[in-house]
Amino acid sequence: MEKWDYDGPILEIDKLSISFFTRAGEIPAVMDFSARVMPGEALGLVGESGCGKSTVALGVMQDLGVNGKVVGGSIKFKGRDLSKMSQKELRDLRGSEIAMIYQEPMASLNPAMKIGKQLMEVPMIHEGASKEAARKLALEVIEAVRLPDPPRILEAFPHQLSGGQQQRIVIAMALMSKPSLLILDEPTTALDVTVEAGIVDLVKDLGEKFGTSMLFISHNLGLVLDTCDRLCVMYSGEAVERGSIADVFDQMRHPYTQALFRSIPLPGADKNERPLVAIRGNFPLPHERPPGCNFGPRCDYFVEGRCDQGYIYMEPIDGNERHESRCLRTTEIDWDAPVQASDTTDKVSAGDVVLKVDDMKKYYEVAANAMFGGAEKRVVKANETISFEARESETLAIVGESGCGKSTLAKVLMGLETATDGQVTMLNKAIEQVPIEDRSTKDVSTLQMVFQNPFDTLNPSMTVGAQIVRALEIFGVGNNQPERQQRMLELLDLVKLPREFATRMPRQLSGGQKQRVGIARAFAGSAQIVVADEPVSALDVSVQAAVTDLLMEIQRENKTTLLFISHDLSIVRYLSDRVMVMYLGHVVEMGDTDDVFSPPYHPYTEALLSAVPIADTRVEKKRIVLEGDIPSAMNPPSGCPFQTRCRHKGNVEGNLCETEVPPMNTLADGHQIKCHLTDKYLDEMEPVIKIAAE
Amino acid sequence: MEPLTWTGIFAPLNYALMAAVVIFAIGFVLQLFRPLYAPADTDITINPDGTASARFTFADIPSEAMKYSVYAVVIVALIFIAGGIFLNHQAGILGAMAHQFTPVWIALLVTYALSIKFKRNLGLYGKLFDSPIGMIGFGLVMFWVFTALFTGVFGMIATHEPLEQLVRMKNEGPGAPVEGVDDPSAYYSHYLLGGDNLARDVFTRMVEGSVIVILIAPFATIFAFMVGITLGLPAGYYGGRLDTLLSFAANLILAFPVILLFYLLVTPEIRETGIPTYMGMVLFLFPIIFFAILIHSKYRTRPEVNTPLLIGVVGTLSIIYISTINQSGTPIDFLNFIDLFDVAGGILTVFVSVVFVNSPTVFRIVRGLALDIKTRDYVAAAQTRGEGPFYIMLWEILPNARGPLIVDFCLRIGYTTILLGTLGFFGLGLPPESPDWGATINEGRKLLSVYPHPAIVPAVALLSLVLGLNLLADGLREQSLKD
Repeated sequence: MEKWDYDGPILEIDKLSISFFTRAGEIPAVMDFSARVMPGEALGLVGESGCGKSTVALGVMQDLGVNGKVVGGSIKFKGRDLSKMSQKELRDLRGSEIAMIYQEPMASLNPAMKIGKQLMEVPMIHEGASKEAARKLALEVIEAVRLPDPPRILEAFPHQLSGGQQQRIVIAMALMSKPSLLILDEPTTALDVTVEAGIVDLVKDLGEKFGTSMLFISHNLGLVLDTCDRLCVMYSGEAVERGSIADVFDQMRHPYTQALFRSIPLPGADKNERPLVAIRGNFPLPHERPPGCNFGPRCDYFVEGRCDQGYIYMEPIDGNERHESRCLRTTEIDWDAPVQASDTTDKVSAGDVVLKVDDMKKYYEVAANAMFGGAEKRVVKANETISFEARESETLAIVGESGCGKSTLAKVLMGLETATDGQVTMLNKAIEQVPIEDRSTKDVSTLQMVFQNPFDTLNPSMTVGAQIVRALEIFGVGNNQPERQQRMLELLDLVKLPREFATRMPRQLSGGQKQRVGIARAFAGSAQIVVADEPVSALDVSVQAAVTDLLMEIQRENKTTLLFISHDLSIVRYLSDRVMVMYLGHVVEMGDTDDVFSPPYHPYTEALLSAVPIADTRVEKKRIVLEGDIPSAMNPPSGCPFQTRCRHKGNVEGNLCETEVPPMNTLADGHQIKCHLTDKYLDEMEPVIKIAAE
Repeated sequence: MEPLTWTGIFAPLNYALMAAVVIFAIGFVLQLFRPLYAPADTDITINPDGTASARFTFADIPSEAMKYSVYAVVIVALIFIAGGIFLNHQAGILGAMAHQFTPVWIALLVTYALSIKFKRNLGLYGKLFDSPIGMIGFGLVMFWVFTALFTGVFGMIATHEPLEQLVRMKNEGPGAPVEGVDDPSAYYSHYLLGGDNLARDVFTRMVEGSVIVILIAPFATIFAFMVGITLGLPAGYYGGRLDTLLSFAANLILAFPVILLFYLLVTPEIRETGIPTYMGMVLFLFPIIFFAILIHSKYRTRPEVNTPLLIGVVGTLSIIYISTINQSGTPIDFLNFIDLFDVAGGILTVFVSVVFVNSPTVFRIVRGLALDIKTRDYVAAAQTRGEGPFYIMLWEILPNARGPLIVDFCLRIGYTTILLGTLGFFGLGLPPESPDWGATINEGRKLLSVYPHPAIVPAVALLSLVLGLNLLADGLREQSLKD
């Protein structure tokens, strides 16, 4: 199809409404949504899951499935109404003028086709390019997405590449036809932070280089700040605020946007002095939306009789250009009023050591054949000489990306695996060689775990109450069923869930509520040490704050030791007392939170800090993008585990980094760094994150 | 007495039926070529009340016609059934059969009325009544279940005795009057579906055959599932050597030709050695193991519930077990003082062989599901609170694998039914005079070109039951995905 020139906006969405028609009736997914993307502009679409942001993207692609339908408004692409185009015209448009990048790279690539063939297909189909020309273009584009050795990549199958590389290929494929509009639907959610940073950098550069307009869909405000020019915040199917990044971030004029910012841990938030403010209540289901303002029931500025009446329109904000908000009270609310701190609490001082891990190692032997164990056995070093202590009522964060060995560490602690070497002492009892079935009921109930995926943590075929009662039975709490029932109801109170939930099935609960049940279950035997494996990472931002708060409240009351496993440095900085950074099975840095988050850093920590997107315009970050991917634990690099990606390697004399594993270098205040860099060099490091003076 | 016609006084309705079928056929052909004369996407408009409607065009006529012709067929069929219930023989063979099946109709009506009324409280079973396919399948299956129930337990429905031979009725066609009966409205006045070459009533034998099929097929499938689950869960959960070993054994059984295996198991020489009985001893042990572990793993922390429950369940099952495997005249003939009942030798052998060939497939399905579900967080949560492996397998993994297992269960009953038919067809297992469908088809086959009805009737019965089971499985699958 001929690409046509057009001077106006690339994409113009006007009062778009999309509904899905089901047997139960019409479900409005998007209502009265307007947006404009100018050439070369990147528009961010932010909102919690279920707010309709992906539906907008699918609407632009005119791919709503059999039961989805645009019920009002129009979508104009380069001045032409998409809804008036025939199927054939749309087919030509998709992939050539509008390209879309999805969350899961592996799902977008054909696993049975070589990368080269998949890339070359695009110009061959859309422009009728010759094979040679297509191949030449493919090589260029692979170069553009900064993948090493393009000819080799062309010959590879998708599964031979890592997740980050796959996503780069998907982006390359989208760029093959030089589209005018690129839609990115959570393109980095499935990737690790350091890999994400690389992709974000790439997307930004490509936008500048090719002048492609972008529609960037994300739930992460920090990412949008890094990539976009303009921002549209969605809530429950409606755009609630729209404007340039600077306007929305610094002069927000909608209570939802404000609440969203207050519920994410920005630098400066502190669990004791400036706790997060969670948004109360739950996200309304599409068929249970309240009258008037959708956010009304959860809003602090709600006025009865006004906010729950009639339809509320987007109104422009005085003084700002193209900044609009769907709120009746934009001029009445004092937007600069300081946050009403919920409850400041006193810092709890750490008590005795309850868990001590000393030189712990965990190796796995991988045999090629299960039945006839062949001669060749490979060793995976999942954990390598790990030592740390955790004290009573302390929060120790374990930070690292996938494959760093943090889950293995949790497994060894829990007794699902036994350590290969070293000691693990819990309350003066050696447990490293005691598998869970040999541990006493008391030991098991003392050390419990909260799991990551709320949709997976509860058995779907048992009621919530029955699952907690079962845990009580196993931990030997209570003498008979009525006593345990009573205790179960008290546990529901503890995690702030209504007692009626006892008879509900897990599928009737939201993600946050399920996670609360998971916490209640972990505390059923009054656990003293709780391993929380990314307990909030799968939850929406507004729910995250509430669940985090709950965990810390219970921790304060019970003097629990919390081992908080996470890859999200913002939340770690907010709630942990001490931090342990892991990379490829090694602890590379450990110390108090403030020490770890300020120089000197381990080079990996430095990169990690720089990679985490922060949703604050005041923050200035030094951009450090790590090259390459995390090496496989099957085949770790020699010497320092991080040497393959380290940018400071040149500053160490000789080839020490490649030959020797660095010793743990203890700096002031018990701050430890596993690095060959000299103390002098470390002292001269600059902070990665700077907060501009207010 | 006159022989009965098919529809009796409702004969004029045949023309309506024929017309409906012809219209349906034409509509179907036109619909096939629809893309040639109609645009691909229809014009859908949104009504103000939030519903969507498509504008009616001429291109929609064939599909509409098909719809109404199906309605017409259903209405005519209902008239035949309802008319038959009240008019009996006056409404022809169909009417008389409908009259004989009266208790089945009532039972079906009650089942459907109750189920639809309470479908919101009945879980997956209730959801079945949201799917038309599932409802049709369920109806077909329940038709045969109720038929077997009323025939086997209450002695209703059948018009004669399955082995009763009325010499003059040999190979008579459907609707033939029974010689010497003067009352034309008596239920035994006609051979409704004719007589076979031994002058027995085909209708009666079909109905009696359903009892055997409905009795053996689900029970054999349940046993196959018990065996498959009891072995498949540990194989999937533990993995490693145990898995390799059990999977290898399962593959071995699956690789052996089924029919040959059956021949081997049911030949008298092999039966005399007692191999099938010994196999039965092993296979029938699995339900006891299954229930014992199921109860103990759940209630081990509460001995006051655990002990009585275990004693009760395992005790009852053991008595049934011993009674089942003990047969006088077979190598296993001991403990006769608690031998409560004897199972006919043929049935036991058939049962064992069906369980034996079905359990490896169930094993593989369960193993696969266990492999998948054991990676879930709730399994890890159970492990970290110190649950035993069998609690995890039976109470955390198995309930969450139920969707695919229920679907497979329905399909497998159908498969077992066909297997039973095949066995009967080869004259294996059950005694030759048994009215089971496979054996009757085989009997009727000999004179198929001259008198097709003795073979066709049981074949249609078999077909409708298996079709029903497959539709039921489809409906369940469709609904379980929506959950």
